[in-house]
Amino acid sequence: MADKHLQFLDIPRKDPDKLRPEVRTKQFREIYSQYSAEAAAQQAGRCISCGNPFCEWKCPVHNYIPNWLALINDGKLFEAAELSHRTNSLPEMCGRICPQDRLCEGACTLNDGLGAVSIGAIEKYITDEAFRLGWKPDMSNVVRTAKRVAIVGAGPAGLACADVLVRNGVKPVVFDRYAKIGGLLTFGIPPFKLEKEVVEKRREIMEDMGVEFRLNVDVGRDIAFEQLAGEFDAVFLGMGTYNYVKGGFDGEDLPGVHEALPYLISNINRELGLERDGADFVDMKGKHVVVLGGGDTGMDCNRTAIRQGAASVSCTYRRDEANMPGSRRDYRNSKEEGVTFLFNRQPIEIVGVDRVQGVKLVETRLGPPGPRGRRVPEVVPGTEETIAADAVIIAFGFLPSPADWFESHKIDLHGNGRVRVSGAPQSRFQTTNPKIFAGGDMVRGSDLVVTAVFEGREAAEGILRHLGLRKEAS
Amino acid sequence: MGLRATRRVDDLLKSRHPYKAWLKKGVRYLQTDLIDPRLAAEPFDGETLAQYQKMFNVSAEERDEIIRVLAEDESEAVGSMGDDTPMPVLSKKVRSLYDYFRQQFAQVTNPPIDSLRESIVMSLQTQIGPEANIFVPAPQHAEQIVLSSPILSQRKLRQIVALAESGVPNEFIDLQYDEHLDLKTALLRVCDQAEAAVRQGKLVLLLSDRYLVKAKLPIHALLATGAVHHRLVATGLRCKCNILVETGTARDAHHFACLIGYGATAVYPYLAYQTLFDLMRQGVLKMEASARQELGRSYRRGIRKGLLKIMSKMGICTVAGYRSAQLFEIVGLGDEVVELCFEGTDSRIQGADFGDLKADSEYLARRAWDKTEPVEQGGLLKYMHNGEYHMYNPDVVATLQSAVMTGDYGQYQEFAGLVNNRPVSCIRDLLNLKAGAAPIPIEEVEPISAILARFDGAGMSLGALSPEAHEALAIAMNALGGRSNSGEGGEDPVRYGTEKNSKIKQVASGRFGVTPEYLINAEVLQIKIAQGAKPGEGGQLPGHKVNDMIARLRFARPGVGLISPPPHHDIYSIEDLAQLIFDLKQVNPKALVSVKLVAEPGVGTVAAGVAKAYADLITISGYDGGTGASPLSSIKYAGTPWELGLAETHQTLRANELRHRVRLQTDGGLKTGLDVIKAALIGAESFGFGTAPMVALGCKYLRICHLNNCATGIATQHNVLRSKYFVGLPEMVINYFKFVARECREIMASMGVRTLAELIGHTELLQISPGETSKQSKLDLKPVLANAALVSDKPQYCIDPHNQPFDRGALAEQMLADMRAAIDAKSGGKFSYPVNNFNRSIGARVSGEIARRWGNAGMSAAPLIVNLQGSAGQSFGVWNAGGLHLNLEGEANDYVGKGMAGGKIILKPHARSIFVARDTVIMGNTCLYGATGGELYAAGRAGERFAVRNSGALAVVEGTGDHCCEYMTGGVVCVLGTTGVNFGAGFTGGFAYVLDMERDFVDRYNHELIDIHRVSPEGMGTHVQHLRGLIEQHTEATGSAWGAQLLNDFRTYIGRFWVVKPKASAIDSLLENLRRAA
Repeated sequence: MADKHLQFLDIPRKDPDKLRPEVRTKQFREIYSQYSAEAAAQQAGRCISCGNPFCEWKCPVHNYIPNWLALINDGKLFEAAELSHRTNSLPEMCGRICPQDRLCEGACTLNDGLGAVSIGAIEKYITDEAFRLGWKPDMSNVVRTAKRVAIVGAGPAGLACADVLVRNGVKPVVFDRYAKIGGLLTFGIPPFKLEKEVVEKRREIMEDMGVEFRLNVDVGRDIAFEQLAGEFDAVFLGMGTYNYVKGGFDGEDLPGVHEALPYLISNINRELGLERDGADFVDMKGKHVVVLGGGDTGMDCNRTAIRQGAASVSCTYRRDEANMPGSRRDYRNSKEEGVTFLFNRQPIEIVGVDRVQGVKLVETRLGPPGPRGRRVPEVVPGTEETIAADAVIIAFGFLPSPADWFESHKIDLHGNGRVRVSGAPQSRFQTTNPKIFAGGDMVRGSDLVVTAVFEGREAAEGILRHLGLRKEAS
Repeated sequence: MGLRATRRVDDLLKSRHPYKAWLKKGVRYLQTDLIDPRLAAEPFDGETLAQYQKMFNVSAEERDEIIRVLAEDESEAVGSMGDDTPMPVLSKKVRSLYDYFRQQFAQVTNPPIDSLRESIVMSLQTQIGPEANIFVPAPQHAEQIVLSSPILSQRKLRQIVALAESGVPNEFIDLQYDEHLDLKTALLRVCDQAEAAVRQGKLVLLLSDRYLVKAKLPIHALLATGAVHHRLVATGLRCKCNILVETGTARDAHHFACLIGYGATAVYPYLAYQTLFDLMRQGVLKMEASARQELGRSYRRGIRKGLLKIMSKMGICTVAGYRSAQLFEIVGLGDEVVELCFEGTDSRIQGADFGDLKADSEYLARRAWDKTEPVEQGGLLKYMHNGEYHMYNPDVVATLQSAVMTGDYGQYQEFAGLVNNRPVSCIRDLLNLKAGAAPIPIEEVEPISAILARFDGAGMSLGALSPEAHEALAIAMNALGGRSNSGEGGEDPVRYGTEKNSKIKQVASGRFGVTPEYLINAEVLQIKIAQGAKPGEGGQLPGHKVNDMIARLRFARPGVGLISPPPHHDIYSIEDLAQLIFDLKQVNPKALVSVKLVAEPGVGTVAAGVAKAYADLITISGYDGGTGASPLSSIKYAGTPWELGLAETHQTLRANELRHRVRLQTDGGLKTGLDVIKAALIGAESFGFGTAPMVALGCKYLRICHLNNCATGIATQHNVLRSKYFVGLPEMVINYFKFVARECREIMASMGVRTLAELIGHTELLQISPGETSKQSKLDLKPVLANAALVSDKPQYCIDPHNQPFDRGALAEQMLADMRAAIDAKSGGKFSYPVNNFNRSIGARVSGEIARRWGNAGMSAAPLIVNLQGSAGQSFGVWNAGGLHLNLEGEANDYVGKGMAGGKIILKPHARSIFVARDTVIMGNTCLYGATGGELYAAGRAGERFAVRNSGALAVVEGTGDHCCEYMTGGVVCVLGTTGVNFGAGFTGGFAYVLDMERDFVDRYNHELIDIHRVSPEGMGTHVQHLRGLIEQHTEATGSAWGAQLLNDFRTYIGRFWVVKPKASAIDSLLENLRRAA
């Protein structure tokens, strides 16, 4: 055998096979296949086990990446699954939807032309395969306490919080207004990136661990928050951000202009057979679609429209290609599937008489860096143009959507609507109401799934301390 | 006469008593079955194992990277780079008590031993039984149970315990104590129990933490061992009993060394065995089924090697000499702990007390008994989130790299902020600059060029580094006006005189590529006594890093691993060091000679000796220096922080009025301008940087340097990695050092100081911070700042331009004056001088000038022939250059032909001498050490260690002492007489002929790497011819009577010769290789 230490040179990085664009755009199924055990071992063996694991450092949940890669290289699947779950509550989802190219794989030492280790694909492989072979988190040592915690929102933050709590003997009861768990994992992220069976499997696993889900319950409407606060020892809020960023230009209210999330949700509802009213469904079949915004949500809209049979899909973004915030992988996949990208374009108006007919765009160029370090686009005068459109989707991001009952429960907010939490190690993610904790997008603003997972887990640690179930290290 | 008298005394003594009968009757050997299948006769279930691992702080990392490797490879795990974690007393994590103990190592005052190549002198034999008065011979002395090593298998422990019935009574002492008790009381109770047991006649005390009980805590086995040992010493009972330790705390070699060093006779590491058993059960270990049976034995072998290495660092041969010797420095334990358990050990800065230690074990116990808590993942060896802090963590590396690539000082400041405001990790992090000085405008501070001149690169060899990286560092340092360091391993002569020349040339124990020309192309010649990452140890460049270029520069063969011995074989004392310094000053009088030491207690005294030995520069390295490859336990457990060593050295030099004679440098983890300022305040005027400039070049601190697969193309000789993935440019290093100097200037301005010189030694400008943790707050750092209390009128830094030796080398100067014209004209000539034994290093002065003008071999065609008569002093013909022929009639001292690159040295006895030349020693020890070429003929015997590390010289002598041809990598050695023992240890290149009249050479050579073949006329005609030619040359040059006799009856003698060669070389290729080398 070739020198083990030079495996990264001898064997190139190889991602799992991907369906051809003409096949994958016909369906809403995931486009990547699974590694074989041999391929996974070989790819994992490319890791050089750096003394400074930059992957682990860059990973928001600080997965023990080199360690589980070594286990997979050794064929120790269940041990790898166990270790993977030590730091991440939803590894099979992060493996699928994390922008690895900006996180672990981007930081991988081998990413300097040698080809980063395919960490995401292996992470997904580990949990998928372990589940398939009957592995479950080991709960045999857990000593049940009498403590119960209510979790509002079954999205990534809430699930992660429940995972850590139940492993520490605390009973989590998770409330969600939808019929399925997952929050945006289920309703926001299209199935070609994350099939819903994966979320269902996680639900089974978590229920088996002792997590209770109460679905179709909208806290504040179906059940009063007072009741939760009274009945449970603590409450965790992981309710996400649902207010849309508006463009602030004319024509946004025209028929044919859609907000990204309802559009995606309507599509998933149909896919899952959860549709209540056929009229909610937004169909792009045969339409010329313009998507405004270059983030991950924008990419999801692009590719959903393509799969619905849109006549054309164009995506506009106000900065250049290099500065686009969305995952590079999703960008590449979108292009392969036929999306046209218009960079350095800013919409100034949606035109149309009684329904949308086009988008008026203006060219931009990048000016000096703004207060947050990113270069601010400036409009180039005299460059207006209008492109024709039958439908426009606005994907500018999300803003916090604080519930009306926050104030009465002394849950303070930052000026921009984000929930204010403690940063102290003893009381991580505690809101200004000591009994109530919060994490995820509603705390940090719209961000990645993996950061929500991290905050949910950290909040659980804070709750455990608050309940007197954890002591600090000496 | 003297010999015979000694033998008679021996005979008299040994016949006085029936010693052999006593031994036969008294000594019992414990049965050793080759295979002990019961690695863990009562295996822990997974849950129990996890509980013990948590209680004794075994992480998954330690299990996989340390314990598993010991069993799989039968040797300690190897790593690279340095230790960048805090000392345990500074750490915010619970660290092993063993981590507070730093192994002592020999430097200058006595040599470390090479426990691998010189294993014949090493022993771990251990005895159990009482020790009686040795002045009263009696059969009881022999009543001992003998073990081959102090690491017990389960079977042996059982046998010992079972001996109770046959008169070896033992006492089981449980180390668990009630958690409400305080630790000191618990320890005293253990001591009481031990004392009472011995008074009752118990011979063996078994200290055990084997049986964990809830609501009890285990006393750390090392605390208990030390405390019991000291109690028994104090009560006069110590010799009546033996301490055995059954503990979960002992896993790596250092742990065993600590226990034995504080009195344990033997140790049973049950948790290591249980952990291995579990790995085997899980099928994780990669080994044959049969080998699995011997897992415990493999592990013990690994530990034994490590233990021997630790002992050999101090130059100790037998474990009996190491036991209870307390050869450690404690960093970070308070007096109450040291007084009760480790009395007499150096512990200079206080630290954790019994309360802190108990709190640590309470934390561990809480996790151990909580089944939901996992076994710790680790983080001590490598950065891991939530694990131990690492000073070169990814944040630090990434920020530094982006700063040097962009050249943006703002980004550098971000890097400096990360470093300067990190959690307390070093002693200097607890020393803050005093506020309140009136700042001055920055324009008034000396320019950065003045500061840059004080910066040196630390020694990193070409071999460890790729040529591209090595040259980039040299170009950068030369551009900045600092100095780069060649490291050990020679330097390509095409770099001499260019911007790629390393101004510092290192002379280390391997003497690879150390030629007169190499030495002449230097501003500083650095003698590396020890290396911060692995003091007291040698090094090894693995064969896969030795490509054609490396082999050429090191005078070795490609693909063959190269060994740097632990000691310099020419430095066994401070006088020897003085001699080497003199040798270097003779060959290159313009160069400054520097001596690199590693911080440990007493380094100040050593440094004072070094200053008196006329070194110009002393470097004090901290424990945190880097390495290209070293056992992990050496990286982690030896050497102390430079802050302590530098402070001690600076204070000692000043107190002895030596400070003005030497420059003082420090290195070890320096990263920012603030580090430089603090080092200056503690006493340094010059600063060495190793890792930081390498990180600036693109090193990501991967710790894989020893594997040759460095993905950044820096620490590798792999062509693809070097050519495609090395992105470093000298400018990055230049940016880095300019940033550091700029930061220095800014700090100086804020302190109101104009030059760095004004800061040196001014410890009153530092104040001690109270610390962030309970342990930190108990430290006493006043000794580091004690310089301020010394009289203030003595110099704080070097004033003399050169530390001029007392010996002005009058004869050498005379010789050079006589030969100058012949050298300049390259004309050769004949010269004659009488010589005396106070004429040292004769020839070096001339060789240096030859090399300066004409290179190593430039005068070979027009030789200077020098006839000398008398007794030559040490280092006769040292660094001999091509074209210098030294004919000595008389005899010579040690180090003849050391570092010889060319020319000839001929020694013959005085014409009127009456002794038999071939039975008489004509030159001393360690001749031809590190020679790379030339010829030596001596009509007489050589002393010990003849031709050590020879890599090209041809030599004929008539007999040698022990260790002849050790570590040889090239050349030919012909011995026309008996050799001592251990011939050819570590011999990987070249070959030898040995005349074996007594037919016992087979017992005298080291069988590890070489084999021997009879020289026979059939099929070996070329060797016969070659050998005959050598003897003819020898006889002609020296007039040897023995040589003449051999030639006269050559057919009789030829069959008594052996050809000695490395196993890896084919016998037919030897002469071919020789021709090619010539």
